[in-house]
Amino acid sequence: MIDNSRQFHNRRRFGLAMMITLLVFAALPTVWVLVLSFRAPVAIFEPIWESPTALTLQNFYKITRSDFPAALLNSFITAGLSTTFAMLVGVPAGFALAKARLSGKFIASWVLLLLRMAPPVGFVIPLFLLYANSGLIDTYLGLVFAYMTLTLPLVTWSMWNSFAQVPDELIEAAIMDDASLAKAFFLIALPAARPGAVAAAILAFLVAWNDFFYALIITRSGTTTAPVAVMNFISYDSVDWASIAVASIALTLPILPLMALANRYIVQSLSGAVKG
Amino acid sequence: MRHIELKGVQKDFDKTTVIPPLDLEIAKGEFVVFVGPSGCGKSTLLRLIAGLEDVTKGILEIDGVDATDTAPGKRGLAMVFQSYALYPHLTVAQNIAFPMRMAKIPRDEQQRRITNAAAALNLTDYLDRRPKQLSGGQRQRVAIGRAIVREPSAFLFDEPLSNLDAALRVGMRLEISELHKRLKTTMIYVTHDQVEAMTLADKIVVLNAGAIEQVGSPLELYDTPCNLFVAKFIGSPMMNIIVGQHAAVFHAASVGVRPEHLTISKSSGTWTGVAGLSEHLGSDTYIRVDVEGIDETMTVRAQGKFNVNRGETVYISPEVENLHRFNEAGLRVVS
Repeated sequence: MIDNSRQFHNRRRFGLAMMITLLVFAALPTVWVLVLSFRAPVAIFEPIWESPTALTLQNFYKITRSDFPAALLNSFITAGLSTTFAMLVGVPAGFALAKARLSGKFIASWVLLLLRMAPPVGFVIPLFLLYANSGLIDTYLGLVFAYMTLTLPLVTWSMWNSFAQVPDELIEAAIMDDASLAKAFFLIALPAARPGAVAAAILAFLVAWNDFFYALIITRSGTTTAPVAVMNFISYDSVDWASIAVASIALTLPILPLMALANRYIVQSLSGAVKG
Repeated sequence: MRHIELKGVQKDFDKTTVIPPLDLEIAKGEFVVFVGPSGCGKSTLLRLIAGLEDVTKGILEIDGVDATDTAPGKRGLAMVFQSYALYPHLTVAQNIAFPMRMAKIPRDEQQRRITNAAAALNLTDYLDRRPKQLSGGQRQRVAIGRAIVREPSAFLFDEPLSNLDAALRVGMRLEISELHKRLKTTMIYVTHDQVEAMTLADKIVVLNAGAIEQVGSPLELYDTPCNLFVAKFIGSPMMNIIVGQHAAVFHAASVGVRPEHLTISKSSGTWTGVAGLSEHLGSDTYIRVDVEGIDETMTVRAQGKFNVNRGETVYISPEVENLHRFNEAGLRVVS
């Protein structure tokens, strides 16, 4: 195939060009935001070559005095809790769907898919009414439950998939070895599906972390999450671009290591690393 | 002494009966092989004994006690799976230790048994490896090791050799046979390979469509197959089956004759035919012969080397005392 080396080189060059284009599109806004965050608010719209060294940390200092750190903490708490609960329920549910002889699996798969595909607006209005009546507006619990409408189907669906890749014979071997179902699950099936579980947890966390819409409707000042708090930098008379830039970076930084991890585990869970 | 007994055991999947009511006795220390074509229910039968499938009807007794509803882990049986089913995240030592961990056997006793099993199975140098880092034969031995350390009352093997290449398979077959001689534990072994069945078994159970066709020692099945199915299934190459006028001569609807019970000659014989392909194995030669009045091409064994050209006329004669006669229903006619 590669004996026509000129064609091969052309193809490589084309691929390289595509990648660079893609990188420019994806990275340029990020780089721009990064630059903005270090510039003085008054100079923010001046061309950078006019004062390339006029970089400052004052934006970072300023944002620590605002409500934003509290919102960041809220984001951590709600995304963390909704991921934890989704894993506690979704992982065993995925196991049951993959391994138990259940009728109605087909229906379950459709319901899960529908939940995944339905637009959040479909949930938010009934949830809002429900929460307004039960006092769950602007509470962690309310937001965590709301996020679980996203994270639970995600975790259940992907764990169903991961456990389906664990051979039945592994669990049967454990059962023959006199392991209880719980031990077969915790000691054999779950470790075998570990890459899938890690990937599911990371994805669930990211979904909740990146949410804007639910938090906008359900939270008030008490439990505002970071994506919503960014809006507070936009006021009637001005837009605080420098703070928005810093906030964007603060929102992106924690998920970078997660993305790196997720990348590894998603590849692992897709390549069927569980086969013995 | 009776060890495992099936009384009218039946298995339905949804509304299909895969195993019609079936009775079977397995004696203590016996090496029993379930053999049959794929889909004959042999694995299902093994899984019923293991407890991995629920018995629909009937009773399964182990040591004279009703074990029909006993949990699989409480039956005292160890199973070796076709895919080995080694726990991928555990080392060889941890894999072998797992059933003992479940049985809460003391640590030092666990260690002692692991050491013994590893020594017996040539795994001592691999105890810290993970299953992924082992060859097929080694994985197979780990699976056997995991079964041995439990000191079960019976071993269940589900096509344990079918994932190995031919040379390894012969070696492992001998090892399993040795293991049985040494432990004298009951073994139930499922295979579709009749050579494995013949070489390993004290007792062969031939299954077809979920029903038992015949139970007996390898030579019983070979010498006196009770019906056409067993006659054709046991023995390699397959028994020649003759129907029509040539069978009528022997007062039977069909007559079976094994390739080694036919003599081939270029000068004279009972039946006249035309030679087809020859297979030279060195010690034997198998010649395919189309005989006048017999639809199916026959296989004849000649000892040593026998040279015959394709299309040449040959004569073959059956050893009359080694003929198997069957009636219209395919059942053996006792002479």
